[in-house]
Amino acid sequence: MQREVHLIGGTRSEAIRLAPVALAMRDAGLLQPIMLAAGQHTTTVTRTLAAFGLVPDITVAAAAERTAGSPDDTLPGLIQELDELWSVRTPAAVIVQGDTTVSLAGALAAFWRRVPVVHLEAGVRSDDLGSSSPQEANRRLLAQMATLHLAPTPLAAMNLLDEQIAHTDVLVTGTTVVDATLAVTSRRMPFQNAAVAAARQDSTNRLVLVTAYGSGSGNDPLGHIPAAVRELVGRHPDVEVVLATRPDQAAQTAAEGTLAGVPRVTVTGPLSYPDLSRLLCEAYLVLTDSDGIAEEATAFGVPTLVPRDGGEPALSLTAERVKTIGSDTEGIVAEASALLDSRFRRDAMAAGNTPYGDGLAARRTAQAAAALLGLAPAPDAMPVSVNVLSSGAHA
Amino acid sequence: MNAVDFWVRSWTSGDLPAARKLLTPGVEAEWNLDAPVDDEELLQVMSRIAAFADRIEVIARTDSVDGSAIVYDLTAPFGTARLVEFLDVEDGTINEVRHVYDVTAVDRFFPGLYDN
Repeated sequence: MQREVHLIGGTRSEAIRLAPVALAMRDAGLLQPIMLAAGQHTTTVTRTLAAFGLVPDITVAAAAERTAGSPDDTLPGLIQELDELWSVRTPAAVIVQGDTTVSLAGALAAFWRRVPVVHLEAGVRSDDLGSSSPQEANRRLLAQMATLHLAPTPLAAMNLLDEQIAHTDVLVTGTTVVDATLAVTSRRMPFQNAAVAAARQDSTNRLVLVTAYGSGSGNDPLGHIPAAVRELVGRHPDVEVVLATRPDQAAQTAAEGTLAGVPRVTVTGPLSYPDLSRLLCEAYLVLTDSDGIAEEATAFGVPTLVPRDGGEPALSLTAERVKTIGSDTEGIVAEASALLDSRFRRDAMAAGNTPYGDGLAARRTAQAAAALLGLAPAPDAMPVSVNVLSSGAHA
Repeated sequence: MNAVDFWVRSWTSGDLPAARKLLTPGVEAEWNLDAPVDDEELLQVMSRIAAFADRIEVIARTDSVDGSAIVYDLTAPFGTARLVEFLDVEDGTINEVRHVYDVTAVDRFFPGLYDN
């Protein structure tokens, strides 16, 4: 009988990154992956896993749902529920991802029971030691409890070595976001969003995918993005835009107020993961304020502009396909137009290097977990220079 | 007040003798600091934390039938470091203490904490 490895996801982002690992483990046949949906967003996790043909094997939500409050408020309940679960169903290892409270709870509960912890996306740091963000503290604590640290990039691995983590416990795998993107697009599912489906049906226009989930504030919830979209569509008659915003009314109102009556623009709320992946696959250019979507876009070789004043996208320092630009209307329009006006410039950016992964991170992760438990040899690290198209990963 | 409550109150207030009384002889002690540890070393370091910190706050606690997991924020003059403590308790005394420190923050904000 195969030993169980429990993979814990509490957010959409975690589900996206863990799902390919579960699939790779299943394919390898050495360990039995058990998907746990935990925390306050188990419905979102369940919906995201469905895009991969997966369902949560176990849901741990009750305590978190009872305790609506700060992340630290939900931590004790999550640890308790996981501890109770693992007291009767002890896994051979636990896999957590990233830096959320659910990940920390999983690591704490596993460490308490002396179950080895495998940490995906290990070593990502903001380098802001004084940051009030709980994520940064979570990242450093997770590094102290993990038995195996799977870093998405060489830079992340270096961060771990700088924190005195033994190099024998660190492996550069790449990020499983790339694997996830390839897995979902290979299923070629129809658009779930009716407005997007209608806009994309038989379209020959170049697609600019715009996501604005965190830009702006107060009376200006989307910053200058809607105005920039209006300008871009006016300048480029062969361009159409899908603009996905936050679900709140203020964001929707801001987008529709600026873009009402503008042709070739579809405004929608947050996209499902399959829809987002398909749009990324079809996009000529991506404009996003989301680091996660920037990562996913690089898997498709799509040039990505990130409007942001100050700060870099988390992993984009060496990603030639991602460029941070100013968030003012003129700056966004100028940078996007430079790529829309010159196919050569656009393709040169698309051909650039990506630090994120080669589409084989999930296989490396599955093998590394098996190796940790003595069931397989340790995998090789991801090559430093990677190309999704030539790595052997399949879309 | 149970053993864990008493332990938290004792060490965070710097009352080393009271904390020591809660430990069984031969208590197992583990930590992730780059130095050897036994119960006496552990208590000395905790005493230094209590003396140096402006504030020690329990931000999460989970109890099981045989112990507790406690997350502390240790606030020093220039920043905060996090500590996770796992306690095994039997018959009102503590027979295992495991500490996981945010080592980077401890080294920065509690310099010299575990130097001999």
